[in-house]
Amino acid sequence: MADSAASGSVDKSVQVKLVLLGEAAVGKSSVVLRFVSNEFQANKEPTIGAAFLTQKCRLEDRVLRYEIWDTAGQERFHSLAPMYYRNAQAAVVVYDVTKATSLEKAKSWVKELQRQANPNIVIALAGNKVDLVQASASSPSVPASSESEDEADDATATPGETPSSSEPESLRQVPREEAQAYATEAGLLFFETSAKTGEGIVDIFTEIAKKIPIEHILAATRGAAGRPGASGSRPGAAAEGSVNLDGNTKPKDACNC
Amino acid sequence: MSTISTALRNFKEPTKEQLTQIFFSVPNTPSTPTPAAGNGTDKTPPPSQEIEKMDINAVLSLGVQGEEDSYAGKLYIMAPYLAFASLDRKSVRFTIPLSTIRRVERLNARAGIYALSLSTWHGAKIIVQLTSLRPTADLFCSLLRDALKVELQRGQMRAVKGFVKTCYSEALISTTSTVADNEREDGSLISEEKEDAAPRESTYHGGLGLKFKFPGDPKKLREASKIKLWTQYLRVHGRNLTLLRYPQCTRLVQVGLPNRLRGEMWETLSGSVFLRFSNPGFYEELLEKNKGRSTTSTEDIEKDLHRSLPEYAGYQSEEGISALRRVLQAYSFMNPELGYCQAMNILAAAILIYMSEEQAFWLLEVLCDRLLPGYYAPSMHGTLLDQRVFEALVQRCLPIIHDHFQEVDVQLSVASLPWFLSLYINSMPMIFAFRIVDCFFCMGPKVLFQVGLAILKINGEKLLQIQDDGGFLNLMRDYFASLGDSAHPNSPDPRARAITRFQELLLVSFREFSIITDEMIQSERRRFRSEIIHSIESFSKRSAIRNLKTLGRFSKEQAGLIYDALYKAMCIVPPPPELQLLTAPALVATGDVGTMTEEKPETRIGLKTFQFFLSEIATWARDERIVSNGFQRRVDREIAEHEFIDRLFFFWDTSCRGALSFQDLISGLDGVIFNDLMENIEWFFNLHDKNKDGFLTKDEVLTLSETFLFIFRYEVGDAYLGAVSRFMTNAFEYGDALQPETGEAPIINEQGGETPPAVPTNQPYLNLATFRMVVLADEVLESFFETDLSASFRLEPLPEMELPVSSSGLLGDIWSTIATDNNKKMFNMFTDEIGKTIGKHQVVHRPSIGRYTKLEEPKLRESLLTPSMRHSASKSSLSAESTQTIATSTSTSSTLSVDVNVGAGKGSLPSSNSSYTPHPMLQAANIASFMERTPFAIDDAKDDEDESDEDLEDGENDDQVMDEVDAFLEAHDSGLTDADKEVAKDLLHAEPVK
Ligand SMILES: Nc1nc2c(ncn2[C@@H]2O[C@H](COP(=O)(O)OP(=O)(O)O)[C@@H](O)[C@H]2O)c(=O)[nH]1
Ligand SMILES: [Mg+2]
Repeated sequence: MADSAASGSVDKSVQVKLVLLGEAAVGKSSVVLRFVSNEFQANKEPTIGAAFLTQKCRLEDRVLRYEIWDTAGQERFHSLAPMYYRNAQAAVVVYDVTKATSLEKAKSWVKELQRQANPNIVIALAGNKVDLVQASASSPSVPASSESEDEADDATATPGETPSSSEPESLRQVPREEAQAYATEAGLLFFETSAKTGEGIVDIFTEIAKKIPIEHILAATRGAAGRPGASGSRPGAAAEGSVNLDGNTKPKDACNC
Repeated sequence: MSTISTALRNFKEPTKEQLTQIFFSVPNTPSTPTPAAGNGTDKTPPPSQEIEKMDINAVLSLGVQGEEDSYAGKLYIMAPYLAFASLDRKSVRFTIPLSTIRRVERLNARAGIYALSLSTWHGAKIIVQLTSLRPTADLFCSLLRDALKVELQRGQMRAVKGFVKTCYSEALISTTSTVADNEREDGSLISEEKEDAAPRESTYHGGLGLKFKFPGDPKKLREASKIKLWTQYLRVHGRNLTLLRYPQCTRLVQVGLPNRLRGEMWETLSGSVFLRFSNPGFYEELLEKNKGRSTTSTEDIEKDLHRSLPEYAGYQSEEGISALRRVLQAYSFMNPELGYCQAMNILAAAILIYMSEEQAFWLLEVLCDRLLPGYYAPSMHGTLLDQRVFEALVQRCLPIIHDHFQEVDVQLSVASLPWFLSLYINSMPMIFAFRIVDCFFCMGPKVLFQVGLAILKINGEKLLQIQDDGGFLNLMRDYFASLGDSAHPNSPDPRARAITRFQELLLVSFREFSIITDEMIQSERRRFRSEIIHSIESFSKRSAIRNLKTLGRFSKEQAGLIYDALYKAMCIVPPPPELQLLTAPALVATGDVGTMTEEKPETRIGLKTFQFFLSEIATWARDERIVSNGFQRRVDREIAEHEFIDRLFFFWDTSCRGALSFQDLISGLDGVIFNDLMENIEWFFNLHDKNKDGFLTKDEVLTLSETFLFIFRYEVGDAYLGAVSRFMTNAFEYGDALQPETGEAPIINEQGGETPPAVPTNQPYLNLATFRMVVLADEVLESFFETDLSASFRLEPLPEMELPVSSSGLLGDIWSTIATDNNKKMFNMFTDEIGKTIGKHQVVHRPSIGRYTKLEEPKLRESLLTPSMRHSASKSSLSAESTQTIATSTSTSSTLSVDVNVGAGKGSLPSSNSSYTPHPMLQAANIASFMERTPFAIDDAKDDEDESDEDLEDGENDDQVMDEVDAFLEAHDSGLTDADKEVAKDLLHAEPVK
């Protein structure tokens, strides 16, 4: 693994593999699109397996290269997910603040990641579509998308419970506090986001970048170069299959940065 | 919160007969769709007569100009189809419905030669010489005659005429034969059917392409030449229902089907045309019956409609979208178990460009059912299996690439999964992908593997440079985008320069990987099937355990053992289907939606399955008889049935659904296995206190005593019997005595005076304290509650369940028939009988508790009980078990080794809200989403209207179209000697007998 010889030896960027997980239609692809190209549009998203995108970011003097795997799909693709989250250094687990079940699904993803993925993985929980539960006044600078469906309901911080009759309807089903409490307990970064308005999106990736042990990744990369026969680390390779369902993960240490 | 499916266990390897049927695309008669949803259309009458099947050696001759060769092979009758394949199984073959056979004549030929002449609807005259022995030939002929008669009676013969009008080829032949007959073919064969040429114009089925144009530039695709060549071919060799596939057919397919004919050829080559033919009106009726129905599938479909080839004009219009919607919905209605799987939208969208909804619907059925088996099933086992097979083939054919991937830990599937799932349509420019699809329908699923291998081989050198999954995907994306470029741009030879990378790909696929056959794929699938089933099952096991709300006091491994017992129970006693996916009182649109949280479907089991489950875990829930008969000693296990087990079932059914989930079982067992003496007594008491008022009635005391007797039924000696009778005596004595004192209890003591005996049997009688006192008064019962009860639940690793038989061939078949449970039973019965006659038959019940084994008849019984049984009887089995388990069952989910030091990086990172923004300069180049279908400019539809031969440059001979494949097609082998050929030639001129 002659890393220096491999691509972009000039480039001092650190490569970070990040995977997006969450129930269908919570807005994973939209979050990525907002982050990567700062736009929001009806998706023509990947439908098979996962989409793969890259985005370089600058953090202080260092360039980070996010390799983003936006998993797609129905429940039945779930068993393929390990193929995408293996070796990931970061994960964004997305739910939809207007759909209570999506948080349950998110929790189950978190559990799975914590048990099956890279043990050092940095996980962020993102409650998306927060624009739907905010009063239009309180929503932050929304240049592009002021669509008709921007309901004006109270920017109440105590959502969910008992929407009084004066307040037509709060779509919120997941109180911020509840998700925050869960995230704290499970040791996750937590954000409420809107791919539509852009709120909170960049913050996810920034905070992840801060939390990622970059030195560690670099060190691992350097270390790997000298390690003999990396293939030896896959003793069960034959039994493993090309789709790794066993969730056996090994820290990825090859990296062409 | 999980669903547990045992569906994979039911997989059966296709029999030889089924494989033949699959090879010839003969529809699977029993599975001829009965729409499970929206109560079945009784459109397809079940074939009452059993289908006659027979095959016979035969030599096929067509005897027309251009096809002088005869081919040796096998002729099959699989009513209502007649099929033929040459010995190599690829040069020549056909499958035609018997109803298209207009005439059969026995030919007058040389002595000893038995030959038939068959005339098809389209005028082709097929001559088959039956080369088997005379009686076989006679039998074959009579079968054929009978089968033809049946078809005639069914009116299928009449149906042909109307049906062929829906095929574009008919229009093609009729128009071209009137327009320009400058060709040298003799029109004699088809002259007779020009009669009904009148209303043909608009009746044939077609796809969106007719209105929205077909992808690609028709000139570059040489549409006109291709159409011309196909017209010639179809005129001579029959078409749609009666197509005879000669080597030229495969060749023509390999250069790419012409757009207008593509849909029909797809359905013909795949055999889906037979489904459409034999189920007229089915598609429309299915949609009609299920109108307005909304299911999870229809919801999923809705989400994907606008992401299916969105760059194609047809899918920017409501017309295309709604056609796509209808086809996908109809399929999900017909096959609710599969429903809808992402990637089917891509397939459906692709084929709808070339064919009508009805055609697409049946083609989809053939794809999901036969060509891509299990790809889109809920477990996607077929996809996983073929990915595994593909990896094995890469390992074998391209070992260097495989090793490199291993070394840098790149997973082939990140790229190859969508290749297979979407037949390359999602990865390549459409015009190229569709040519692969052409070959796929013509030559079978092996094509997907051949092309995949060729892609890797061609990119071999670059692949050895990649270091990770991302790099792999990048490389593949660039390659696919360049398929239209020259493969040898720097070659001095203009002909070499003209070869595109796509042509190179096909060349490598079919020339260098011709060793990959469908049989090889089949046997590789057999090789890996159980591995894949295992990994799917262990994956769902792990998620089921992970998704438990609580493990109670169990470790994950123990929960795994409980899961195994549950899984086994579900395999052996499948819960009724309505229980499998019992959802909570669903969120029906009654008004205030959103307040109630929708619940995920969760698998639950009924009482019957529970009895089996419990018999795996609790020693008293099974009857184990140790049988020795002089030949063998074995343990026969049967499930015990007792009111106590039912009681437990309802006791654990805390949400009162009449069914138990995995979580219920875990919690239920948690409530007893870890109990100490006092907790056990209380648990046992509560179990029998039906109304939970803290008292047992007299009736319940009796029931409880019966439970004791049930649990102790096989104990050796009198100790337990004595204990139970003492218990009853004491219970009634204490109960009666304490009756007045338990004044708090709301006893409605109507018969004032004589308190004790007068308590009605259904009134509160014995409270927990009293019960405890009575139990503790007895040493046997005390030890039962102290340890034996908890220990009677044993979590032991189950022996591996047999997977669906995956061995093949003769031996496999024989073995599988011998080793069934039934045969084992027969063997056991047989030896028992002998044992009885020789006086060696002995049956001993194995005790459930086994504490007092030595009380009686020690000699005989002691020899039967294994030492470990006696040993484990007195101590909690759990601890011992769990250590054992950890050793055995966790090996699959080994956890990561420590990964250096985590904290290292933290300090060095600037922590404040540093200048972290997406790097603007770098952004533009990086928006690339690889598995997403990228629109390729080369697919842009060009005007098709002015297509005609005149447009071709002069030098562009039609034959040049064939250049690109002729190079790599192997010679076809007729399998005949010269003498055989002579005979066959003779027959072309033979007269009918009589
Ligand atoms: N209002 C609103 N809608 C969103 C937001 N993010 C995504 N959506 C919409 O939610 C739907 C699903 O989004 P998508 O990104 O495809 O979800 P995915 O399946 O998780 O990738 C789309 O119709 C989006 O337009 C958001 O932040 N606010
Ligand atoms: Mg998405």
